[in-house]
Amino acid sequence: MRDLTEPPGGEETTPTYYERPLLKAPHWEWNVVTYLFLGGVMGGLGLIQLLADSSKESERRLKRTVRISSFLLAAANPAILITHLGKPERFLNMMRVVKFKSPMSLGVWGLIFYSGAAGANVMRELAVSGVIPRWLRYFAPGLFAPLQALLGAFTAGYTGVLLSATANPFWSSGKRHIPAASVCSGLASACALSTLLSVLEGNDEVTHKLERLEMVAGGMELSILKHFERSSGAYGKPFFTGSRGKRLHTYTVVAGILAPMALNILGRAVKLPKPVDAARSAIASVLTMVGGYILRESLIEAGKESARDPRAAFIQPQ
Amino acid sequence: MADMATGFFTDTTLCIGCKACEVACKQWNELPSDGFAFTGNSYDNTSELSGTTWRHVAFVEQMSLDEGGLHDRWLMSSDVCKHCTNAGCLEACPTGAIIRNEFDSVFIQPDVCNGCGYCVVSCPFGVVDLIEKFDPEGVRYNLATLVEGRREEHQTALQGNGGVAGKCTLCYDRQRLGFVPACAKACPTESIQFGNVDELRERARKRVETLVGRGVENVQLYGADDVGGGIGSLNAFFLLTDRPEAYNLPAQPVLPSTRQPAGYASAALAALGLALAGWMIFRNA
Repeated sequence: MRDLTEPPGGEETTPTYYERPLLKAPHWEWNVVTYLFLGGVMGGLGLIQLLADSSKESERRLKRTVRISSFLLAAANPAILITHLGKPERFLNMMRVVKFKSPMSLGVWGLIFYSGAAGANVMRELAVSGVIPRWLRYFAPGLFAPLQALLGAFTAGYTGVLLSATANPFWSSGKRHIPAASVCSGLASACALSTLLSVLEGNDEVTHKLERLEMVAGGMELSILKHFERSSGAYGKPFFTGSRGKRLHTYTVVAGILAPMALNILGRAVKLPKPVDAARSAIASVLTMVGGYILRESLIEAGKESARDPRAAFIQPQ
Repeated sequence: MADMATGFFTDTTLCIGCKACEVACKQWNELPSDGFAFTGNSYDNTSELSGTTWRHVAFVEQMSLDEGGLHDRWLMSSDVCKHCTNAGCLEACPTGAIIRNEFDSVFIQPDVCNGCGYCVVSCPFGVVDLIEKFDPEGVRYNLATLVEGRREEHQTALQGNGGVAGKCTLCYDRQRLGFVPACAKACPTESIQFGNVDELRERARKRVETLVGRGVENVQLYGADDVGGGIGSLNAFFLLTDRPEAYNLPAQPVLPSTRQPAGYASAALAALGLALAGWMIFRNA
């Protein structure tokens, strides 16, 4: 393992070219951060809509809510990407080709197919409940539920691969951690969003299951981040140290994982009055989602700093 | 394809730092000025390759003082897109805008590029960049007028927000017309040599032998053979007389896509674990 005190890319004595960076920093702002964050949330919602058991009334409602919200997010995400690209027709250029070696290309196709599966599942929900003609449900067979979950796992995971399969020294040092952490964070935020929506529609019976799953995902995310901190060594400095490291610790680790965990454990241990419990769930959910967003933002910003390091890219992580 | 491959052999020992290559490139490709900057870094006020700077002459000043007196040397090197055998930018491009043309060069089709910026972070050499503010009045691509006859189309494509990606085309348009790329044509010392890549490699190896015979130290070719990391050899390679880092070249570049299997595998593993946990939570209750 690399020595933590050693600067990335070799000793301090390695000559640099007037301390000028070798690489170009990413041109990615809030829109790409949001695109990645929503990709994770959508992905997690894909799993939740599959898990919810339609034979129980509360979970049937959850399934419906999750399906509708996942479809809306999937429809909104291309719009966010377009704000980054500048012109709507530029999004269409992504649909000229399918490139298996480009996570950006595969991700857009994953998003499109996910929208299709989520749309089919929404159609099923609407047909079953009689909002649209009932026979339309035959166009959306049950197969679409596991399909949306599978495509969801992909949309959450590829957002991590998108970063780690670049030349950026920090991102590439996390080739095993960033994709897995993206999946965990995505599911945790999806659980949080589902909890929040369920609380808002007064369906609090399902919140306990969602909160348990959220704690598992958050716990996994935390352990992956801890392992990443050790294994990335000097390459991870822009992410784990300094003011950005502090921000990550405060928002993602403490406020985004540990605090909701404590609130969720409290909710299970103590029988709170209903409105208080609903408020507790809502607060925990919002905190989790903020933590997930800050995780993505920190990843992008640390990537920029890493690209500006004049030595980090001399020896690029394998 | 390989026998058609053309490229550059940039022999840095011959470079005199005149920047004729930079100027010729800007002129031919009608790339806008980068503004007047004074960096204080030797004679280098260009600083780096960018979306609108496709040749960059680096000035490495090395001085040391010991009992023998003052030792000084200037290393000058004209940097350019490497046109990698396995190009990170080409693999990363989600629109298929970046292609490999009939001369085995890596070429960005400006009317197809959608400005996503993924190639920028996928180049292990930090070459390609977005043209942030694009002034359609000041710039036009000769490629569009001379070869494709689609100038209007290219112009429209280039006028979006955030711009599109730009880098050396290895003078695709000039090559189509049978001309030598502008930088190589302008180079007064033949530091930049253009030709068939196999022939250039032969020439470069002979040049190394000559220089070693003359007692020049640390002579090495960069990119004439496989640079490692899955990138392969470079169609635009260099003869250096110091370690690559001194010229701001990576000692160990890595092709970004080689990390994808590990990434997808770890994401799949996490997803599988969470799906299992979710299944257990939702079944028992």
